[in-house]
Amino acid sequence: MDDAQLKKILDNTDVPAADDNARKRAVNMAIAEFKESQKENEKTSQGIPFLSRLMGKTNTQQRRDPMEKARNKRFVYGGMATAMAVVLIAGVSFNQLENYDAGVGGNKTAAHLNKVQFKTDGDSLSNSTFSNISQNITGTREQTPLKTREKVETKQQLAEVDAIYAEPRIAGNERQDAPAAVASIEESISTGTSSLPVPINPPARGRLNKTKESKMVAAKRPMEMAQGIMGGAAPASSPTFSDDNVASRMIGVPDIMPPPDYKDVGRDKFEDFKINPIKSVAQEPVSTFSVDVDTASYSFVRRQLNSGVLPQKDAVRVEELINYFDYNYPMPEAKSEPFKATVTLTPSPWAEGKKLMHIGIKGYDIQEEKPKSNIVFLLDVSGSMNSQDKLPLVKNSMKMLLDSLNPDDTIAIAVYAGAAGTVLDPTKVSEKSKIIAALDRLSAGGSTAGAAGINLAYQLAEQNFDDEAVNRVILATDGDFNVGITNQEELKDFVERKREKGIFLSVLGFGQGNYNDHMMQTLAQNGNGVAAYIDSLNEARKVLVDEATSTLFPIAKDVKLQVEFNPEAVAEYRLVGYETRALKREDFNNDKVDAGDIGAGHTVTAIYEITPVGSQSVSVDPLRYSAAEKVETHKADTDFSGEYAFLKIRYKLPKESKSKLITTPITRDNDMEHVQFIRQPTHLNEFNFATAVAGFAQILKGGQHTGDLSYDDIISLANGSKGKDNFGYRAEFVQMVRLAKSASTIQPR
Amino acid sequence: MDETEEQRLIKGAQAGDADAFEALVNEYYEVMFKMAFKWCRNEQDAQDITQDACIKLARGIGSFKGDSAFTSWLYRLVINTAKDWYKKQNRHPSSSDGLETAKIDEKVDEKLFAKQVVDEIHKLPDGEKEAMFLVIGEGMSHGEAAKLLDCKESTVSWRIHEARKKLNELFEGERAHG
Repeated sequence: MDDAQLKKILDNTDVPAADDNARKRAVNMAIAEFKESQKENEKTSQGIPFLSRLMGKTNTQQRRDPMEKARNKRFVYGGMATAMAVVLIAGVSFNQLENYDAGVGGNKTAAHLNKVQFKTDGDSLSNSTFSNISQNITGTREQTPLKTREKVETKQQLAEVDAIYAEPRIAGNERQDAPAAVASIEESISTGTSSLPVPINPPARGRLNKTKESKMVAAKRPMEMAQGIMGGAAPASSPTFSDDNVASRMIGVPDIMPPPDYKDVGRDKFEDFKINPIKSVAQEPVSTFSVDVDTASYSFVRRQLNSGVLPQKDAVRVEELINYFDYNYPMPEAKSEPFKATVTLTPSPWAEGKKLMHIGIKGYDIQEEKPKSNIVFLLDVSGSMNSQDKLPLVKNSMKMLLDSLNPDDTIAIAVYAGAAGTVLDPTKVSEKSKIIAALDRLSAGGSTAGAAGINLAYQLAEQNFDDEAVNRVILATDGDFNVGITNQEELKDFVERKREKGIFLSVLGFGQGNYNDHMMQTLAQNGNGVAAYIDSLNEARKVLVDEATSTLFPIAKDVKLQVEFNPEAVAEYRLVGYETRALKREDFNNDKVDAGDIGAGHTVTAIYEITPVGSQSVSVDPLRYSAAEKVETHKADTDFSGEYAFLKIRYKLPKESKSKLITTPITRDNDMEHVQFIRQPTHLNEFNFATAVAGFAQILKGGQHTGDLSYDDIISLANGSKGKDNFGYRAEFVQMVRLAKSASTIQPR
Repeated sequence: MDETEEQRLIKGAQAGDADAFEALVNEYYEVMFKMAFKWCRNEQDAQDITQDACIKLARGIGSFKGDSAFTSWLYRLVINTAKDWYKKQNRHPSSSDGLETAKIDEKVDEKLFAKQVVDEIHKLPDGEKEAMFLVIGEGMSHGEAAKLLDCKESTVSWRIHEARKKLNELFEGERAHG
């Protein structure tokens, strides 16, 4: 075999063309990294001089003192941090420490802690709960340890540090950190087994560290970041966080309450969208959209109204308000055709001469044959989650969800703040006390690296992946992803890829003031999951217990609706809501295009407002010249005159990738005003209630199409169609409308 | 891309111009992907490695001094990334889910043989494998490869020698019969 032959063989290796998505992703990430590195460079050159002096490493031109090397070693940091903590515990002042050589209690403790420290450092990969956290970020002991280690170093350094202490920012940090440090060191002493030796937990991390550590971790960081993405072993993307710190944050460190005057308001983010316009059937006879079973918007609106203000318009998604309620539509008979559409036309209560076309879809319910679930909770424990309606509510919600699961379902818990960690390895629900204990240990603090957390959660889900079960990651957050991969596209791609592997994502939103609705919608939509907003324990019960089956078990995915209107019968139409779910006409038959999913027992309602041909209320004048062209050519073969429209539903069964099609003509039989209409009164009730909700939502959005419809009209319509209302959700709706009414008098739209 | 354009983009990226960097990554992604794929012969892994390498490039572009061809420098980056990657994954490139060189056609015999050879090359120790790729596959001189691999020229020669010996032992007889 000669070189030429070998070369030929090597050259002829079939290399597949690079995947375009992978390429885009890589390029995006590289650019993000590039910009980041540029930013860091800038910061470095401008510099915060006293800190660069401290860290010693920021500038390559910096002097290389012999201590520097030693300082970079983990154990030195650890030892010094420990000693610092001992100082705090013993309550001795710095000067006392210098003379302190008795070696009684304090020194013993120090020795013990040091032992612990070395143990962890030695085999940090071993069995620590947090072994998943990156081992790499060694040089990042934060400010407080910094201060600490200086203390035990040589005297001349102490002099240098003294100057630094004078710096108010550091001093400020120190004040905040000290109690936490003491508390958790004490804890580790009392348990004696803690492997979390550095308990110090500085809250003001990001800005200060970044500058300093950038250089140190520069080389390691991209790998970590990328590794996180790939689901590698160490998914920590934040350079600003040492593993031990995360650990201490997750277990044992008491809540650090934000200063009382801190108020987190006005940063809720919603996608900006325009409401659907009236469309002329002549010009655009086909309307296509994806189903949406999310309810987040309803709870958010309710929360706003409960606090006496009208919600911002972009926060109101009409379809989510409508779909918040469970409607009693006829059930499908079999799992093979997982849902049934019931279509009814009723006169529009807000526009004379128009009709509302309700499409009600009810998903197959699988109550008896509940599949196994493999669930990973991914909980945001960042600082912003630190309020009663966030983390504590998350914990309680999760506990409620436990009750609705089978004993052999598995649960794992991952958390993320500045970095991500596993709090609970996959555990059977039967070991409930273990799960609850893990939940109870959680406390909030730090920044948010949602991306790293997502990686970790998916890793856990993959670890325990069960082809038969429903594999799902449930993310609970206030929606803030401010560290790591913040690029929405990347996160989206990532979630999408995992979805293809069979792991779905649901997102539960919590809190207010920092709520990133857009991001959560995007993630849930791409992860084949539900986005719900949890503002109270009641809501948690609704989503996680009453609707657990529909929230957790998909019966159909990528459900798309397409309605073709018959120009003979319908002049104009307007889809109420679903603005953010609009699809292109050609997307309907394209199985590659993702769409919404329907869970077991879910109901989905879509409402079209249509203007029949010949009605007085056609909003667009007919074209003068088009009539002449209207030669009836292919009318001969079939007579569609009795049809308003033709409804097509496309869906995929959860594990299939090819879609199925259901079609139904919508005829006069569906029209309430028509003699042939036969429908049970209960169904009408349902449609009337949906109408009331739709009317309300539209008014909240500005009431562009609802004419004179008032809050009072809605209240009476809803009151008349409450039906059974087992859980009181509909009564609550009426209450909400009243609240909106009073809010609107103060704050007119 | 001609050389001056390449130079311009590299210089721009090194100076912190994000657009130049973007253009550069876009331009070289395919090349890097090919390198990665040849190394690991698994599309998914190659994608991940290339992505890593791109991120590394973002940080590392400044350290490209221009004393070798940019592609050679890139090659080094990609191969190092690949090695690190597998280290972190704690496994070796596997060919099981790798490429399907042998498509059924009249040349099946030829292709099968090629696949076997490639398989064997991939089984070589990293050093020899690298040397083979650079010298035989990329047509570099031993000196160039040595510079890239950060070792002596004689080491490269030795590795090539060893690798070829192994391959010949495996295949020479078979080929003679075949």
